Amino acid sequence: MFKKGDLILIAAIVVIIAAAFLITETLKSGDSSVNKTAEISQSSKIIKTIDLKKVTKAEDIVIAGKYRNVVRVEQGRIRFIESNCPDQICVKTGWLLSSGDIAVCLPNQATIKIVGKADNIDVVSY
Amino acid sequence: MMKIRVFCVLFIFCLALTSCTNEDKGFDKQDFAMGTVITQHIYGANAQKASEEVISKIKQLETDMTINKPGGEINKLNAESGNGKWVKLDPEIIYVLKKAIDFGAKSNGAFDVTVGPLVKAWGIFTDNFRIPKDPELAQLKKLVNLKWLLIDEKNSSARLVKKGQIVDLGGIAKGYSGDVAKEIYLKNGITSAYISLGGNIVTVGSKPDGSAWNVGIQNPRAPNGKYLGIVPIRNQSVVTSGDYERFKEVNGVRYHHILDTKTGKPAISGLISTSIVSDFSIDGDALSTATFVLGLEKGRALIESLPGVDAIFVTSDKKIYVTSGLKGVFTLTDESKEFTYVQEG
Repeated sequence: MFKKGDLILIAAIVVIIAAAFLITETLKSGDSSVNKTAEISQSSKIIKTIDLKKVTKAEDIVIAGKYRNVVRVEQGRIRFIESNCPDQICVKTGWLLSSGDIAVCLPNQATIKIVGKADNIDVVSY
Repeated sequence: MMKIRVFCVLFIFCLALTSCTNEDKGFDKQDFAMGTVITQHIYGANAQKASEEVISKIKQLETDMTINKPGGEINKLNAESGNGKWVKLDPEIIYVLKKAIDFGAKSNGAFDVTVGPLVKAWGIFTDNFRIPKDPELAQLKKLVNLKWLLIDEKNSSARLVKKGQIVDLGGIAKGYSGDVAKEIYLKNGITSAYISLGGNIVTVGSKPDGSAWNVGIQNPRAPNGKYLGIVPIRNQSVVTSGDYERFKEVNGVRYHHILDTKTGKPAISGLISTSIVSDFSIDGDALSTATFVLGLEKGRALIESLPGVDAIFVTSDKKIYVTSGLKGVFTLTDESKEFTYVQEG
């Protein structure tokens, strides 16, 4: 069917293409696991997106609304540091470190999260 | 001719490789309703339309079933308590009330939607938390009785017999809403999705690749999102009740939101969390509350008596128990290393 030369050519091109795909795929997935994007949102609208890797010095971000939340951003992590809401659940949640971590201030309808999902699970029942 | 053939082979090869990198990441939507966070994750062409339909339906159900804001169906029913009048209600509400009565009977009153007067006394779902005195609770407990919640299904009506009775659907409304959301997904031709109504999880089908949805079970003594273990489910629901969801600590005592109608106080049953795996989320919602109040032994017996329903129980001494259908299915992943998975039999 094919000549010997054709077969060698096909084999060579197949190997090159496969290698190219493999490399781009590993780069892509490697990138997403290192990439740490935090999202601050209120009433379901994103108000700020931060690349936590690129944070060089700590910064506080205020979310105004029915209550006042203060979000602390540091390299690789983010949290609610202060809030005048009644239940303080947002502050008690502590630091968010990895993909899928989320903290919510229900009274102020504010959410901070690290984009992506946790390694082994799709969603948590609580 | 040969070149074309070579080219075709290579082209098909490339196509095969790109096809798997081009996957649908799913549509995500987050909203605030029913006093909690609603997250939806949906695959398929109608994802956005379905998510919007779901959220507007949930908001309508919230209005109909809440007792924390004026208006709606349940407030109409409560307002006429003891007046001897039947109150015409939406058939949907009648369905939820019937389910509530059914689970009240099955759990021997551990789940009782006429708990309203006690809930109000504790101010649990508002910012007005207080600790009622025993005589007050004793008085209010007399109003908590499912036999005085009457249903006339034919006329889509209900009646509360005693003056001052209050139906509170807080323990079942999110569960029912989850089932309704699923119906909306299916109607829109969606075959892969999940919705979380404040931690009540309802899944449609499996993940797009055919694998099960991996649902994490919240660690009841760790921050939100930290989980003890994983239950893989397809097309089912997981609902969790725990003493960590809404609580106030006063002088070292944890006052949580799940009331035991026998004492009128937050249930102390030795459980700190119960998760129910079931086909319908309304069942899971009612049963997670019921088993939390009943405790490990009675709770487990109840779940084992119900076909197609399973449970994960976490006790205050940090032990985890599962019912027969979850043996070999539930996986412990506890990073805190504080919990022990008790595998019997």
